[in-house]
Amino acid sequence: MSAKLTARERMTRLLAVIPWVVEQDGALLDEISTRFDYPRKQLVDDLTQVVLFVGVHPFTPDSMIEVDITDDRVQIRYADWFAQPLRLTPEEGARLLTAGRTVLSLGDDEQATPLLRALAKLGMALGESADSAVDVRLGDAPEATLATLRRAVADQTQVELDYYTYGRDQLTTRTVDPARVFSDHGNWYLHGYCHRADDERVFRVDRVRDARATTTPITHPLEGGGASFSPDGDDPRVRLALDPRASWVVEQYPTEAVSTRDDGRIDVVMAVTAQPWLERLLLRLGPDAEVIESGEPLPADLAAAAAARILARYRS
Amino acid sequence: MDKLERLLNLAAALLDADRPLTADELRDRIGGYPEGKTAFRRTFERDKDDLRAMGLPLKVEPVPGTDPPTDGYRMRRADYTGTELRLEPDELASLHLATNLVRLDGADTGLLKLGGGAGGEADEVGRVPFDDALAVMIAAAADRRAVRFTYNDTERTVEPWRLSFTRGHWYLAGYDRTREDERLYRVDRISGEVTVGDPATQEVGAPSDPTDLRGWELGDGEPVRALVRIDAVQAAHARHLLGEVEELDDGGVVAELSVRNPEAFRSFVLSFLDHAEILEPPELRADMIAWLEAAT
Repeated sequence: MSAKLTARERMTRLLAVIPWVVEQDGALLDEISTRFDYPRKQLVDDLTQVVLFVGVHPFTPDSMIEVDITDDRVQIRYADWFAQPLRLTPEEGARLLTAGRTVLSLGDDEQATPLLRALAKLGMALGESADSAVDVRLGDAPEATLATLRRAVADQTQVELDYYTYGRDQLTTRTVDPARVFSDHGNWYLHGYCHRADDERVFRVDRVRDARATTTPITHPLEGGGASFSPDGDDPRVRLALDPRASWVVEQYPTEAVSTRDDGRIDVVMAVTAQPWLERLLLRLGPDAEVIESGEPLPADLAAAAAARILARYRS
Repeated sequence: MDKLERLLNLAAALLDADRPLTADELRDRIGGYPEGKTAFRRTFERDKDDLRAMGLPLKVEPVPGTDPPTDGYRMRRADYTGTELRLEPDELASLHLATNLVRLDGADTGLLKLGGGAGGEADEVGRVPFDDALAVMIAAAADRRAVRFTYNDTERTVEPWRLSFTRGHWYLAGYDRTREDERLYRVDRISGEVTVGDPATQEVGAPSDPTDLRGWELGDGEPVRALVRIDAVQAAHARHLLGEVEELDDGGVVAELSVRNPEAFRSFVLSFLDHAEILEPPELRADMIAWLEAAT
């Protein structure tokens, strides 16, 4: 959790904590802290130095909230104004609906019954069309491939992948110790140890042409994590000047430095894991991107050379 | 005085009052505001914004019996509480688990109001981009209300049917009142604020599926039929992306595409670098040649 909460974040939490503690007829500090994501020290300070002084005119003892903390147990009394939880805004409801419906779409069963009930209640509060208002697909890899990979993660057995490397435009076969299957921004990924590369790798599941389960136990277990993209320290870097129209590049690709240039364009430094990737990006951007600097071994006229190569096809 | 204390006292005073209170009355009752009319006004305005941003139903109403009429502020308890969901513990726990499994960008304050995290952590399965504008549109789709926004520099009023996230992008499908027709929008191209309007007038239609639509099919123009040849080395990739393609003897394929957005079409063809070529129509072929010539 973040170190310091803003006044708004603290108030949002207190307006939820107060009715909950009142309803429970008292609660332990640790429980409140975990449940409401409220750092314990801040919680104690806010209860004893702020909430204790909240009330209405004329602020006589009978018109103020009473807070008592004994043996880490919190009691709150006379908080009539805040005794009920604040309403859920439609936007907050929409967030919960989105997360809940996404989980339902994963088709994982155990939680489905209470979740369906929760979403039905949420739907009644949000409106008649809540059921059809949102639809999230975490990725469009084949179900069978995902199932093979998930089972291998659970069983801790190796998988053999036929994998298409889009950046390098190559189809390869590799043995992988799978660690985790996850979705990020609309794509499914497999994080694992690749025996061909002899290193950790993250694979896009929709580029796995075939995944074959084996009974061989994994030899290289990995600790959590697995970012969807992690450049190599040795990869060459490119510095681009982007027209503001091309600002989506900054949101879509990992960048190492972003600033605004005097001419209003965006200055961005990116790692180049494979040359064809940069060729595609530059050709797509055309006049909206200018290469300011490109590290060895990237040729300075990379985009022009790629354009000439493609043009040759059209002229033959 | 701590700002938090002042905000809580302001909320308590508004909930406690049985009539609208003027700004001056609130200042006198709460304390903690800076001296001087301008400084008070500035702080008071900020406090009101903060309360509204947290979802507190602060209303402005004329104060009865004032002459000239003066505006006052109040917050009704019924509005404050709204419709209670009354979730069972297992229902709350399932929502908490869902927000752990699927992480939406931005802060989740809704769960706190319902009683907070019910304990138990789960490994995140997926992360999805999300923001306030999306939440506003999803809520409007659920409640059958129109929304207004700017898209491609044009004001639009749309009755949203469904917000779909697929292949890394959010799409809005709905009924465009100005164009009197169903439309599909890329949400990341919506600029500025999305505001909620009056109730919808049209029945919810069956929104076209954005997964079947590719970038080059999203546009206002008339569709143009295009043929693209893709070489054998990229044929498997093309089949995977496009589904139905014509197979050639040399292992390459020819794909037939319906193009409404030439710019997106060009980007798509360029993604194959020198392994693809636009065969038809001549205009799109000429566009590509001109684009490449400019890059050499």
